[in-house]
Amino acid sequence: MATATETRARGAVPHPDVTSYSDVNRDILAILQRPGKGWWALFGLATAGVGLLLFSWGIQLVKGIGVAGISKPVGWGVYITTFVFWVGIAHSGTLVSAILFLFRAPWRQSIYRAAEAMTVFAVMTAGLFPLIHVGRPWLAYWLVPYPNSRYLWPNFRSPLVWDVFAVTTYFTVSATFFYLGAIPDIAAAREAATGLRKKFYQFISLGWRGTDREWHHFGKAYIFLAALATPLVLSVHSVVSWDFAMGITPGWHATIFAPYFVAGAIFSGMAMVITLTIPLRKVFGLQAYLTTKHYDAMAKLILLTSMIVLYAYLTEFFMAWYSGEEIERTSFWDRLFGSYWWATWTMLVCNGIMPIMLWFKRVRRSIPALFVISIFINIGMWFERFVIIVVSQHHEYMPFAWGVYRPSMVEMGILIGSFAWFGFWFLLFCRLLPPVAIAELKEVLPAPMRRKEAIDHG
Amino acid sequence: MSNDVKRRDFLKVVGVSGAGAGLSGCSTEEVEKLLPYVIPPDDITPGVATWYTTVCGECPAGCGVWARTREGRAVKLEGNPAHPISKGALCQRGHASLQGLYNPDRYPGPMLRDGGGFRHVTWDEAEALLAERIQGAAGNVLLVSGHTGPTLSALFDSFVTGVGGFRVEHEALSEAPLREAARIAFGQDVLPHYALAEARLIVSFGADFVETWLSPVEYGKDFARATAVDSAGSKGRFVAVMPRLSLTGLNADEWLPIQPGAEAAVALAMAGHIVASGRGDAGPYAGLLQDFTPAVAAQLSGVSAEAIEELAEQFVSEGPSVAVGPGVAGQHRNATAANLAVLILNSVAGNVGRTVHLQGGWTGQKARPYAEMQQAIQGMASGGVGVVMVHGANPAYTLPAASGFEDAFGRVPFKVSFASAPDETAALADLILPDLHYLESWGDSNPRSGIHAIQQPVMRPVTMFDGKQTGDVMLSLFARLGRDLGSATFRDHLRAAWGELRSSVAASSGPDGADDAWWRDVLRSGVLPEAGVATGTQDDASVSPPLRSPDSVLAFDLPEIDGDGMDFTLLVYPSSRLYDGRFANRPWLVELPDPVTKLAWHGWVEMHPDAAERLGLRNGDVVTVTSPHGSLEAPVYLYKGIRPEAVAISMGGGHTNMGRFADGHGVNPMVLLPAAVEQPSGAFVQVATGVTVEATGAWKRMATIEGSDDQLGRPIAPAVELATLSAVAGSASAEDVGEAEAEVHHDELQELNLGGGFVPVPTEGRPEDFPLPGSRYGGYEDALSGPRWAMAIDLDKCTGCSACVTACQAENNVPWVGEEMIAMGRNMGWIRLERYYETIDATQAGPLDVRLLPMMCQHCGNAPCEPVCPVFAAYHTPEGINAQVYNRCVGTRYCANNCPYKVRVFNWYTYTDVPAPMNWQYNPDVTVREGGVMEKCTMCVQRVREVQNKAALEGSRPIADGEIVTACQQTCPAEAITFGNIRDPESRVAQLVESERTYRVLDELINTQPGVSYLKKVTFHAVEGES
Repeated sequence: MATATETRARGAVPHPDVTSYSDVNRDILAILQRPGKGWWALFGLATAGVGLLLFSWGIQLVKGIGVAGISKPVGWGVYITTFVFWVGIAHSGTLVSAILFLFRAPWRQSIYRAAEAMTVFAVMTAGLFPLIHVGRPWLAYWLVPYPNSRYLWPNFRSPLVWDVFAVTTYFTVSATFFYLGAIPDIAAAREAATGLRKKFYQFISLGWRGTDREWHHFGKAYIFLAALATPLVLSVHSVVSWDFAMGITPGWHATIFAPYFVAGAIFSGMAMVITLTIPLRKVFGLQAYLTTKHYDAMAKLILLTSMIVLYAYLTEFFMAWYSGEEIERTSFWDRLFGSYWWATWTMLVCNGIMPIMLWFKRVRRSIPALFVISIFINIGMWFERFVIIVVSQHHEYMPFAWGVYRPSMVEMGILIGSFAWFGFWFLLFCRLLPPVAIAELKEVLPAPMRRKEAIDHG
Repeated sequence: MSNDVKRRDFLKVVGVSGAGAGLSGCSTEEVEKLLPYVIPPDDITPGVATWYTTVCGECPAGCGVWARTREGRAVKLEGNPAHPISKGALCQRGHASLQGLYNPDRYPGPMLRDGGGFRHVTWDEAEALLAERIQGAAGNVLLVSGHTGPTLSALFDSFVTGVGGFRVEHEALSEAPLREAARIAFGQDVLPHYALAEARLIVSFGADFVETWLSPVEYGKDFARATAVDSAGSKGRFVAVMPRLSLTGLNADEWLPIQPGAEAAVALAMAGHIVASGRGDAGPYAGLLQDFTPAVAAQLSGVSAEAIEELAEQFVSEGPSVAVGPGVAGQHRNATAANLAVLILNSVAGNVGRTVHLQGGWTGQKARPYAEMQQAIQGMASGGVGVVMVHGANPAYTLPAASGFEDAFGRVPFKVSFASAPDETAALADLILPDLHYLESWGDSNPRSGIHAIQQPVMRPVTMFDGKQTGDVMLSLFARLGRDLGSATFRDHLRAAWGELRSSVAASSGPDGADDAWWRDVLRSGVLPEAGVATGTQDDASVSPPLRSPDSVLAFDLPEIDGDGMDFTLLVYPSSRLYDGRFANRPWLVELPDPVTKLAWHGWVEMHPDAAERLGLRNGDVVTVTSPHGSLEAPVYLYKGIRPEAVAISMGGGHTNMGRFADGHGVNPMVLLPAAVEQPSGAFVQVATGVTVEATGAWKRMATIEGSDDQLGRPIAPAVELATLSAVAGSASAEDVGEAEAEVHHDELQELNLGGGFVPVPTEGRPEDFPLPGSRYGGYEDALSGPRWAMAIDLDKCTGCSACVTACQAENNVPWVGEEMIAMGRNMGWIRLERYYETIDATQAGPLDVRLLPMMCQHCGNAPCEPVCPVFAAYHTPEGINAQVYNRCVGTRYCANNCPYKVRVFNWYTYTDVPAPMNWQYNPDVTVREGGVMEKCTMCVQRVREVQNKAALEGSRPIADGEIVTACQQTCPAEAITFGNIRDPESRVAQLVESERTYRVLDELINTQPGVSYLKKVTFHAVEGES
């Protein structure tokens, strides 16, 4: 185990003011005690948004999927866009908590809990959309291979069935990983809690007592799950990207999709982490734990993935032109100058141009600038999926069948509602679980010694 | 310890929440009751269809039909193959008869006016009241009727004679000018019949013979025969000489875009050229021809003199020719002169007796002049009519306000309508005696001399509606008025009339024998051809009379148009879907995209893009169209097929009282027209006025199925020049070239064999190659020994009429979705007619090249939709049909996304809960789909299975080629679609696919290996970049 001095020298966490375990307990656990008015206001808003989601979905279930704006030729619209958006966001959390753990990156400690929570809730949000978007959701379970008296299996060649496996696996592993990793912290919270809360923490902490043996098993389990979750970061979004790459639609059928989507996922996910943790940091006074150095590191990761994403955009356009294939060329020309030119340019500006500012250290270390840029990146990434999905479909092989898709109020309601659903769970998380990983933070702090003079280090 | 969670508690909590999560799925099924027959009726075997022969009564063409009934309900109509007019085909309006039969807005029974509305009365009361009023009218009875069978027509006549009064026949689409012109030219009061099939060059001056003119099913078929390329490489030409291209015009090889009203000038100039070159004789019109030289005609028409002369030259030298027109769309104030000019042209070219037949012509019903209706209106207005009865006509809608019909009608003290469903005239009536639909009633038809056909009911009247056949009502009235005609019912009366017909007409063929047997045989065959009367193919030399001098003053130059100085000439043309508006309450027809503009449900104004640009208008901009007589608002549709100086509006929309599907949709261009009478024919002037067009500032998202009309050079609807066909050019066929290419690829593919067992299979991807080697497992092992169902569609024959769309809809329970859904792109048609412009110029004479492509599921051997469906709802049968398993479909729509042809349609809602009794029309052999399920063309798999089952029951006999006929193939007047087993080398489809014109859409780009092959359209001009 690296000493606290070495870890601090590597520019990791935390702020020099944080010196002892009791500081950590006080700061982090204190969050769990204070449900202020702000939180309630936001939570009320989120609940209202969830209500909007359920109401819109209810309309759709009662009246029929026709209340959405999708039609021929654009059969997949806002719902699938938002599905891919949320699945993509999820990947960053696992990258931070699992992959960076295996690489021993020091700056992940403060953010990985919030990031991992974001992953779980993002997958939960994404998981709603396959049910929302199918025509007969009450039969959606037919995509799951279960033994039945008709000897029917799903079509394993279909990317949608691969999605079922990928997303389910991802959710299972992420949720387990998240939960497992949080157990020591829940135990810490349990110690400080009273009443109903204490009972709740008692239940979900699974009787953690902090013995050596338990810590030993915990460490092993954590590494094991981190290793299991790592390939998922690359595979899940690759599988989701193959929903499109395995189709013949011009604009979808490209070999670059898997790395393109994975890079995009990390890109949008990191931006979402920034969007979530900056207010978290401000509201709960976690400046000592989430320092500008953390954000600098995150911004560098965003910069890297934005370069990959920009490269992918350029590759797509170049290959469309280079192929000499008229249909491909027309499709990409239409992206830039057709009915949806505004979506394409939003995507290019938000994802390609704005992250250029992150080359500059001043920008990387400026919390307000990062917040603004991260929001633009998320908007841009939503539009990237919109452009790929909707704009490719609307101008395909048969010009007579070209059409324009206009999202309906129900779709927008569900889109907004999905953000509210995510926010609902995240806000609950902030209130019920420590948003910063207490146990790992304590690992890099000097251990409490019996004699006071040992505490003072250079 | 208090921190522990006991294992038991943990398991309890998990168990309860787990159980709670297992919600049972909602069931969408409702409990329905099925009641079996206690005593089944004689004719009915449940599950087996019973067919009846009858005659379509929807328009005056009189096509014979076979009605398919299941358990006493008519579910489908098909053409009667033995009928000389339809010859097995049927148009979309014929198919939609079923929606007239099952129209939910039909009157529930006799209705008597009660204040502002109506109240129910019994038939007894109603007839008694009517008889009373007729007696009180003392000889002032007016009977207005539309096209009627001869027996009923005779009954009407004797009725009117008996009670005193007069009868007027009113058809909005009337060929009175043609009839008058024939009378003037040849002294015979006939509507000529045209043998288009015999012609090598067809010139239309506006007649839309594929859509509504005279006999569109018959002429569509003949036209396709004449102009489709045959195996000898020869092909007839079609030239359109008209200001606006109708669908008929879009099929032309050349377009002379003349000014509206210049038909006469051009026809006379052509005739003059022929006479001047010594190859024809104009008789008394020689002087007239000298007045209309090609130069004069060029100046009047806006088309070059060279083009006119060239056309004239071709008209006389390119084999039998025929000129038709101008039809209703060109009916201006000099229409008789225009028709006469065309007849002169035909006569001068020697066509009369060859392709223009005066013998065996159409009955006068198609030629009732409006002038008679005008007289009737005057009579009503002056108070000279005591009782007016209206049957099969809707003058309150089809006549403009300027005619004064509504006021005059209102002045009649007692107004009766026999309409079976609401219309604008019935809304003004005092008494409604709803007639039965023709599928429920007796009647007959005599569309052309020599053809007599029986119309018999194919089912008992729909129980929801208490209608009564008008023939029965008339007989009952006769009885009440003290006259007995000897028959209690119209059926008996008809039977008696046909008994007389039998003895007066020596039938050239047809049944013989005792009366009852004879009658049954007539009912079965449906037609009684008349011996010694030509049915329109051969003529006596004596029936080619010389031209006679005119007996009235005729003006052959441009007609007078109201509204001097107004920007555009207004062209009002009949709709191939709504006809004159009578079909506006039939959702199949209202939703059928107009074959030219591809718009549905709402109305539009067609304008040339150049003119629109001048006015700053785009597609969908709502404009106000104003004439000196009225104005209306409609969205603009930019159409390249109309002269920039004209705008066009289709008839048939803008109803106010026709039913739930008609009211509020579309516009009625009649409001813009005066009630002008053409002299000397007395016809209604359609091209009467100019209009101004002004933007309102509003924009309408139009309900269209069309994305873009430009192929962009993609291999979708290529064409081939006639001169390059091997039969003509004698060069190597395309097949030889293909083989050489295949060899090259074979070598390359061998290199890819990496020794790991993966060997790409060289294949041309022809339909009969399905399934490919390596894929023959899991049920496909014996596929190669079975049939491979495939289709061949000849684009040189397809006219774009869209009858196939409605036939498919009727056969397969395809729902209609409404205007809003169409505007969103949610059209449910399993087959659509795509229309791409290649060459079209509205400013000068030149070649015309419009590609019409019927596009349905291609049943690809390498279907992109199949691997992506997560639940195997998209599945390929071993016989080669791409099947859609409705029950399995979850609705992810991946298949539709992956279909490059975009032929899959999705049920966004459950569209099939339709108002009663429209559900009676549903074909019991085909599933009715609910919302959330994908559907598409199945190559009428129910028909395939029906024949296969039948063959199996009949001792496992082989199925003959042509025994299985898909709905679209069955109805196509042009016989463009062929279906069959492509593995059978003797089958027609296998032979067609060997043609050098064969191609498959997009196949060379994406290797889908479609089972539907197309034969390229053949043009007379060089085609850019394609072969």
